[in-house]
Amino acid sequence: MANEQADEVTSPASERTTQPAAPPAERRTPRRRASLLIDDLPTDRGSKLRRLGLRLVSIAIFFVAWWVVTRFELIDPKFIPKPGLVWDRFQQSIHTETKGTADFPIVKDGIQNYFLWQHWWASMQRLLWGLLWSVVIGVPFGLLLSTVRWFRLLFEPYLDFLRALPPLAYFSLLILWFGIGDTSKIWLLFLAGLAPIALSIVSGTRGIPRDRVLAAQALGASRLQTIRHLVLPSVLPDFFNGLRLAVGFILTTIVAAETTAGLPGIGGLAWVSKKTGNGDTVILCIFVIGATALVLDGLVKALDRKLVPWRGRG
Amino acid sequence: MTTNRLRRPLAAVAVFVALTALVAGCGSSDSDGGKASDTTTKDASGGATKAIDAPDKITIAYQAIPNGDLIVKQQKLLEKALPDTKIDWKLFDSGGAVNEAVTSGDIDFGLAGSSPVSRGLSQAIPYKVVWIHDVIGDAESLAVRSDITSIKDLVGKTIATPFASTAHYSLLAALNDAGVDPTKVNIIDSEPDDIYAAWSAGDIDGAYVWNPNLAKIKADGGKVLITSAELAEKGDTTYDLGVVATKFADQYPDVVNAWVKAQDKAVKLLNDDPDTAAEIIGAELEIDTKDAKDQIGDLIFVSAKDQAGTDYLGGALATNLEKAAKFNQEQGEIEKVADAKAYVDGVDAGPAKAAG
Repeated sequence: MANEQADEVTSPASERTTQPAAPPAERRTPRRRASLLIDDLPTDRGSKLRRLGLRLVSIAIFFVAWWVVTRFELIDPKFIPKPGLVWDRFQQSIHTETKGTADFPIVKDGIQNYFLWQHWWASMQRLLWGLLWSVVIGVPFGLLLSTVRWFRLLFEPYLDFLRALPPLAYFSLLILWFGIGDTSKIWLLFLAGLAPIALSIVSGTRGIPRDRVLAAQALGASRLQTIRHLVLPSVLPDFFNGLRLAVGFILTTIVAAETTAGLPGIGGLAWVSKKTGNGDTVILCIFVIGATALVLDGLVKALDRKLVPWRGRG
Repeated sequence: MTTNRLRRPLAAVAVFVALTALVAGCGSSDSDGGKASDTTTKDASGGATKAIDAPDKITIAYQAIPNGDLIVKQQKLLEKALPDTKIDWKLFDSGGAVNEAVTSGDIDFGLAGSSPVSRGLSQAIPYKVVWIHDVIGDAESLAVRSDITSIKDLVGKTIATPFASTAHYSLLAALNDAGVDPTKVNIIDSEPDDIYAAWSAGDIDGAYVWNPNLAKIKADGGKVLITSAELAEKGDTTYDLGVVATKFADQYPDVVNAWVKAQDKAVKLLNDDPDTAAEIIGAELEIDTKDAKDQIGDLIFVSAKDQAGTDYLGGALATNLEKAAKFNQEQGEIEKVADAKAYVDGVDAGPAKAAG
């Protein structure tokens, strides 16, 4: 058993060359490499403030440029809505509007009858479920792929096939199988997140230096012990990279998942607004999706820093 | 050291997974509960109609098309008629998506164009037409660059239209009527708003499309070559249709009648008070009342009484759907045409008769 695993983990040289992520040479000189990384810049108070200031300036420049371009109509206003219009849409999206006549009163919550946060939360639930399933299935799947030879021979082609498919191509099949409710959407998001998670585990496992595995086995570690005490901790940095990629993939798939019966949903709102020609609502949705992406990515990065303090020093 | 290194992250990953599950789980029950309370508090205007045998929940597939369906939704006409039933409105993107959803058994009522419905009946999708939401008049037209003066000039030109839509059908019918081989025209598939973008960029020579993008193209120098209203005079009428899953209609005939009655009320408002109707539809589509009114004006709305007659549900529609299926087959859009009976059985004028 143990021999077979050692074989797998450190196996053919040709495979190692396809994994340029962690060449052994760099692993031996981590300090020099680490000093080049942004994350390892000094983190005293002053520099933190400077970084924050730089970010705020960058955002301010963006909004001023947007305002100037639309104010002086440097680009046809058909193509870029004014910031004021997007702001009006935002106001509309968080208020209830009442109009109409006594016989036919019109009462409307937000945009498309839902408040902005209802759209956002509906999408977040789908995203979290999709992500949860990609982790629950993707991690063991990736471990099996990288440690069990016959499993890899059987299933790796399917994973490669799946991750090359554009989601819209098979979404209508998912609707036929799982209906128009959240099940088919969560399936789509799960499939979008599965490949990055599973492949990150595979790449992490293959990047473990051969001598470590041999050392563990020489000390009498069983296969399970090797996985638990060597493979899992070594794989964590790659897992977090995979998690960040998966969050990104799932977010880019949200609009596709919400093209059918996607209200409430921020992607569904963007889609229907595009179709009815409400460009300002589309921009609003883009901001919300983009901000969500930044926050989620920040969360995963923070979790990564907390849980993998040895990143880059392995 | 090693065990410490491992335990902490593993535990934290487990906590993360558990939290995600918890958060997602709480949320899904939360949103269901939040929306369910809406319908139970509404009072029916006529309390006497309580005896209707209705399910706990009805799922309706609607589309962003300016017709009576949006008035029924916005004014909660069906919720008022069926106070004990939760009405779940799902926004759909195209008639093709509605066909899929009926096949998967997820929706009870749906809105789809006559072209998708004709395809659906050819494939024996278990639904039937009980309502005509609108007859497509000038709302869909072929707009082209000003140097193109006849349909024959389209040979070698690039024309955009959303594939598998009523507009696509009308474009092929117009070419057919003029004796132009469709394979000689470069017909490309695109979403209406993308079609307008392509028009602005000068990438296409024309488009068969509907409002609001048709209006934008016209305002941007597009010249109308033929409209769906003109094609209708030649017998190639296109409609937006209301379908109901056959199983549902058999089980809850009273609900179908109530639904048709609600639609008929909306049609009455559209024809009697288009300003109010436009305001309601504008609110649903998130567009100006004026734009909504212009769009409504290009569609024709028919009362339940008239729909029950032989010009519509009572006869002509079944013939139209069969003809559309045959035409779609000739064009290679569908594989086979069903027996004539499938289209006759696929249209039911009964509920319209009862409401009219």
